[in-house]
Amino acid sequence: MIGLHRRPRLELMLLLLPGAGFLAALFGFPLLTALLGSFGLVGDDPALTLKFYARIFTSTVLLRSLATSLYYGVVPVAVTVVLAIVLALALRRHFAGRKLFNGLYKIPMAVPGIIVALLVLTLIEQGGFVDRLLLPLGLKLPKMVRDPWGIGVIAATTWKQLPFMTLVITGAFAAIPEDIRHAARTLGAGPIRAFLRIELPLALPGITAAVLLTFIGSMGSFAIPDLVGAPNPLPLSVRMVRAFAEGDMSQVFAIGMVLSAFAFAVLIGYYALTSRVGTAKGDSR
Amino acid sequence: MAELQLHSVGKRFGDTVALRPTSLEVEKGEFVTVLGPSGCGKSTLLRILMGITEASSGEIVLNGRRIEALPPDKRDIAMVFQSYALFPHMSVRKNLAFGLEMRKVPKDEQRRRLDHALQICNLAAYVDRMPRQLSGGQQQRVALARAIVMQPSLMLLDEPLSNLDAKLRDSLRHDLVALHRQTGSTSLYVTHDQAEAMAMSDRIVVMNGGEVVEIGTPVSLYRNPRHVFTASFLGQTNLMPVEAGNRQARLPWGDVVPLESNHRGAAVVSLRPENLALTPDAAGHGEITAVSFMGAQANYVVRIADFNLKASRSGGEALLEIGARVAVSVTGPVSLLAETPALGRAA
Repeated sequence: MIGLHRRPRLELMLLLLPGAGFLAALFGFPLLTALLGSFGLVGDDPALTLKFYARIFTSTVLLRSLATSLYYGVVPVAVTVVLAIVLALALRRHFAGRKLFNGLYKIPMAVPGIIVALLVLTLIEQGGFVDRLLLPLGLKLPKMVRDPWGIGVIAATTWKQLPFMTLVITGAFAAIPEDIRHAARTLGAGPIRAFLRIELPLALPGITAAVLLTFIGSMGSFAIPDLVGAPNPLPLSVRMVRAFAEGDMSQVFAIGMVLSAFAFAVLIGYYALTSRVGTAKGDSR
Repeated sequence: MAELQLHSVGKRFGDTVALRPTSLEVEKGEFVTVLGPSGCGKSTLLRILMGITEASSGEIVLNGRRIEALPPDKRDIAMVFQSYALFPHMSVRKNLAFGLEMRKVPKDEQRRRLDHALQICNLAAYVDRMPRQLSGGQQQRVALARAIVMQPSLMLLDEPLSNLDAKLRDSLRHDLVALHRQTGSTSLYVTHDQAEAMAMSDRIVVMNGGEVVEIGTPVSLYRNPRHVFTASFLGQTNLMPVEAGNRQARLPWGDVVPLESNHRGAAVVSLRPENLALTPDAAGHGEITAVSFMGAQANYVVRIADFNLKASRSGGEALLEIGARVAVSVTGPVSLLAETPALGRAA
């Protein structure tokens, strides 16, 4: 009896091994190492300690880094989501060159973050391309790169995230049946109220997904804040690389864990949200 | 003056004509059905009335007001969709209240209309349900109630029953007729289902090929169709070539029947199967070639003078057998048909 039950289980494990094993080896193992390392359990002289976390949450510099990371995560996403909704609505209309535009706007998805950062650098840095264009007009660009408000980071991140966000949000709006929009209109809602009361709420699950996923990406990104972000305070991602350069591996692991914790929290929040929608849908007949 | 008037309303997409200039009047409280096969222009007409497609030409007057240039929300037309189009994120109550809120109807008036609609649509038990928790029939009743609370000048119904199963369709059809009688709303019902159109309408507008073929009451259109298309689209019929003259028509097998028209020469008439009497007669010209017993009636195909004639008899009578010889006589009115203009062009 036991044998009969065991064998398929063993077979199952073997069958899962290529996929699950790959994940475990290349994702789970490093994560575990990082987790242990962040508690000081990896290295020449292992000893359980919370000091690397304590440092993040007590040192003013690192706390400001954490705040900066959150700022670099939240603000570009907020800017992007507004632009993406406008773009998604515009793409729904018919205009000359819509097809071409539909292809072109997706290009930034294929451009690496570091290239985007360099692009922003050459364009809007003081003394950069736009600045020199404005010079004959007697105008001067304000400081928008490595500035305290992170305008360079926001610009670069937005540029990079906009296509993905627009793609997801366009899909979310396209999934709303045309009849529902028309029903709202015939019931006396003007275009704006029909959008706010009917379309936006119905597209919200898709918009939320796009927001959370891009938030994770932009909060953890390194290349853009390193190149166009303010030198002080640095976001955690840049601090992490600096700590790595200094060989302070346990600190690297602890920062990595904090960033990952935010990503996990966001994902768990997302799953909680969507599964609630799922069960609400599930009780239909 | 009619509640709804269409004057030469037409729609072209480039070179394609979706709707030829169409004129139509619907009286206050009337239930008019637009009937036609898919692609006949009825959906275009509906979208133009709703205000989501702009007419290429013509005027629309609703309740004394020109509306063809108004956006959908300013037209005082409520719509019931084939897909129900309920707002999935709102309860039944909120679905019904949405339009009233948009139109800024006072709260107590909102409540009064809502209660009334819930009661006549038999939905009181479901007010707090979400649309996805309702069956198809219930959802369509919510969609109806949502239109009824608006007390619109015109109700548009776009094949509201076609997503339901046969039994439910039947009961909701009765509900619809009863509701119309109670609310007295001016209604334009669009469908491709001729049985629905016959059972529900005060008048039927028959459309084909982007234009109106014929307008009339169900009885007049069925009994005295004037066009080939109407005769064959509404129920079963036999289209027979005849020689007409002296208010008479000579059928292919030699019988002569009276005609109301004084048309002379070759023509086409419509003979309804139930207006053909079959009498067993060894010397008869006809021969039964097919029998299908439907219960209430029995349908036959009779071979006569090289034509296959559809005829029906009451299911209560003795069945005729395949191969039996019968005499065929015409017992009801014979309608002389004009080819529809659309069919004429196609030829």
